[in-house]
Parts: sequence; structure tokens; C-alpha cells
Amino acid sequence: MEFLHFVRRALVAQFSGPPPRDEFVRHALDAGVGSLPLLTLLTIFAGMNLSVQAYGTFVRFGGQDLLGLFCGVGGIRELYPVMAAVICGARIGATLAASLANMQISEQVEALEVMAVDPMRLLVAPRLWAVTLMLPLLCGYADVVGLAASYWAATEQMGVNGGTFMEQVRDIVHLSDLAAGVFKGVVFGWLVAIVSCYHGYRALKRDGAEGVGVATNRAIVHSAVLCIVLNMFLSALLYVR
Amino acid sequence: MAEQQPAITLERVCKSFGNNRVLHEVSLVLPAGKILVMLGPSGTGKSVLLRCLVGLMKPDSGRIFVEGQDITALDERRSAGREQMFALRRKFGMLFQDGALFDDMCVGDNVAFPLRQHAKMSERQIAERVAEDLERVGLKNVQRKMPAELSGGMRKRVAFARAIALRPRIVLCDEPSSGLDPVMSATLDELILDLHRSLNMTFVVISHDTAEARTIADYIGLLYKGELQEFGPKEQVLRSSRLAINQFFDRSTDGPIQVL
Repeated sequence: MEFLHFVRRALVAQFSGPPPRDEFVRHALDAGVGSLPLLTLLTIFAGMNLSVQAYGTFVRFGGQDLLGLFCGVGGIRELYPVMAAVICGARIGATLAASLANMQISEQVEALEVMAVDPMRLLVAPRLWAVTLMLPLLCGYADVVGLAASYWAATEQMGVNGGTFMEQVRDIVHLSDLAAGVFKGVVFGWLVAIVSCYHGYRALKRDGAEGVGVATNRAIVHSAVLCIVLNMFLSALLYVR
Repeated sequence: MAEQQPAITLERVCKSFGNNRVLHEVSLVLPAGKILVMLGPSGTGKSVLLRCLVGLMKPDSGRIFVEGQDITALDERRSAGREQMFALRRKFGMLFQDGALFDDMCVGDNVAFPLRQHAKMSERQIAERVAEDLERVGLKNVQRKMPAELSGGMRKRVAFARAIALRPRIVLCDEPSSGLDPVMSATLDELILDLHRSLNMTFVVISHDTAEARTIADYIGLLYKGELQEFGPKEQVLRSSRLAINQFFDRSTDGPIQVL
């Protein structure tokens, strides 16, 4: 009930006007640009690993030319959006929850209330917008980097024909798949932001520094679990006809 | 001439957390433009009282009037009630116990924050007001410093400058002297008196410092176990024969106030 009440207040704040510009830009840059190094590194290795695993399995029955198919379906449809959500979600969610929890325990949120400033409008709305808009971009970026890494590993390390690889990717991955990835990014982004803001916002002064740790921990765990569980339902909705 | 509305009126205010009775039937009338020092041992509901005054907490029963407006009647769950509450809060400035400065803003932006939110002022006017208020609290050329770079006393003074930036009619101070050395405490007391004289603000100061009460108060209240043991003009309270008052001002362990 408490969470639903928070969601209602957050939605009202989010859609009651444009978010404060400076706060939005700050959080968008942190969520987007700040996540790039980590996401790039991990997606490169995940993409290469996808090729390695597929090659090791398919080569037994001479199906190594199907690598593009596997990397396209497994990577772009499933792996990269979820990776972006979980990796960036953990990083972004931890930042959001810790910053809000710290503001709660040091009475900065109460100070806003006393100054007749709605903390939901000033603190929560820009964070929600920033992460909801940045995570789909990160999902798209992860698609490109992961596929490039799979391609490189398949062609340079395992001798798969590059033309065949890309032809299969084009055959199996359609524009609607990329759009589905972006859609998942929007859903995951909002989910990560609302869960993280909720845990940060409900920290109490009496919880002290431990409260910040607890809020951060819960934000990371709950965001990751929700994204992975929801991904299954979204995939069923989007791909099972 | 019409009589001026009291700044704050409390009518039988009660507040509990579970079985813990924090405020019990607290009633008082504080005239406008006066300094009230609310004394009491730690954990007796002083800070809860302050939060009720500004609508951060809602009393379980009783009514609180701010300049005649009943804030307990406002329902913050409704947008109209929240708007009214925000309008009412613009009458207040509040100094939090630890300052509650915004960590990610420099001193200048902290003091300018309420002005940027509510005052129709240009950036130049805001910068002038910020410099004026920082100088008023004895700080110069600190606008670009971050709160983490300041000492405890400086943080409190910056928080004070922020609390008065909008020239509120009522200033609430939650233990302004706690954690400060005696000289800095005396400096803050002088600051309150100076602001009171120059800007004619009403002050509600939560404290357990009897010296502070003697120095700055027009009115003194003593809260113990959630009940208002004594309240009235300073001279009257200091002459009181009530044991709790005498024990508190004499710093004695002998009397009705027990260590919790």
C-alpha cells in the first residue's frame, strides 16, 4: 500500500509539468553517460561469449553458420536489454537510492517541505524522467556494441563468414525487435527509477548511515529481480504469437 | 485599532506514536513578534511540537492556528489542501538542528534556493540578498564554498541565513545552540535578537539551554513528558514556584523531572 501511494504521488509529480531542467540534465548525464564505460566493457565480453558458446555447440553438427541467427535472437531480443537494465539499473538505482536516503536522514527533504517546495516534483520527477529516457538509449547502445563484439569473435576468432553472419542477423532481427528492446528499456528504466526512489525516500532520520546502506541494497536487489521477472512477461507478450 | 492575531495558538494538541504519548493536551497562545523559548529535557516532544507547528506532522487531536488559520484542518492528501499548506509554510523559516543544508549546492545556492523558488527577484537581486543575509549572520565571501567545507557553527549560520532569506513572519529554530561552543551559542543568540529587532519576526526556539532562555526569550515554556508544565512571559515563568521550573533552571537532579 505504501509503495502504491508513493507511485501515485510520483506519477502526479512526473506528469504535472516539465521536470526541473538542471536536476533532469544532471541525472540524465549521470544515468546515461556515466553508465557507458561499464556497459561497454561488460557488453563486449557478453557479446563475445555469446559467439563462443554458440560456436562450441553448433560446430558439433556443422551449424556454425547459424551464429548470426543465435546472436541476433539471444542478444538483441533478450540478453542486451536485460543486461543494460540490470547493470545500469544497479549502478543508477544505487545512486538514486543513496542520494535520496542521505537527503532524508539529514533532513534535507523536510527542509524542502518547510520551504513549500514539493520534494516529489523537485527530486523524484527529474530522476524518473532521466532514467526512463536514458535506459532505452543504453539498451540500443548495448545492442550495437554486443552485436559488434559477437561479430568480431565469430569472424576473427572462429572463422565464420562475416557476410553470412550479418545476413542471418538481418533475417532474424527486424526493426520491431529493436523497437521491442527500446520499449523494454522504457519499462525497465521507469521501474528501476521508481523502486530506487521509493527505497531512498522512505529512509528515516533515525536509521542513520545504516539506513542509506539498507535503502541502496534494497534498490539494487529489487530493481534487478523485478527487471528479470518482468522481462519474461514482456518477452511472452512481444514474441509469443 | 484591531488587535493583532496571535502568531501561534495551540488548543489541546495531542500526539502519540503507538503507545508512546509524545504531546498531551498542549495549549498556548504566542503573540506575534515575540520570542518563545520552549525548554525541556531531551526526548520530551519539543521537536515533535515544532514539526506539528509547520505541518510536517499532524496532531492526533487538538488544533493549531497560525496567524488565525487552522492548519490541522488542511488535508494534504488533496491537492487543494496541499496548496494551502504550502501557502501557509511560506510564512515560516526553519533552522534545523543540523542545518539541513543541501549537500550538492554551494552556500550561495543554498541561501538563494527559497528565493529562486518563491520570490519574484532577478538573479542580481537574489545575489545581493544572499550577500546581505550571509553578512547578517557574520559570514563573508563564502558563497562558493560547499557545506562540507564549513564548520558546524558556520553551517548553522548559513542555515539561519537560508531560513530568513524570504523574510518569513515566523522562524522556528530546532536547538540552535546544540553542538556549539559557548561563544558561538552566544553569537547565535545575538543573531536571533538582532533579527527579531530589525525584522520583527516571531521566533519559536527549541532548546534545553536555560542561559539561552534567560537571554533571548520573551516567553518561556517548559515541556516534560509531553505536557506543558509552564508557559508564560519570561519574568512570570522565572518567578514561578513550580518545582519543575526551579529544578530545570537550578540544574538540579532533585525534583519532578527524572532522567529518562
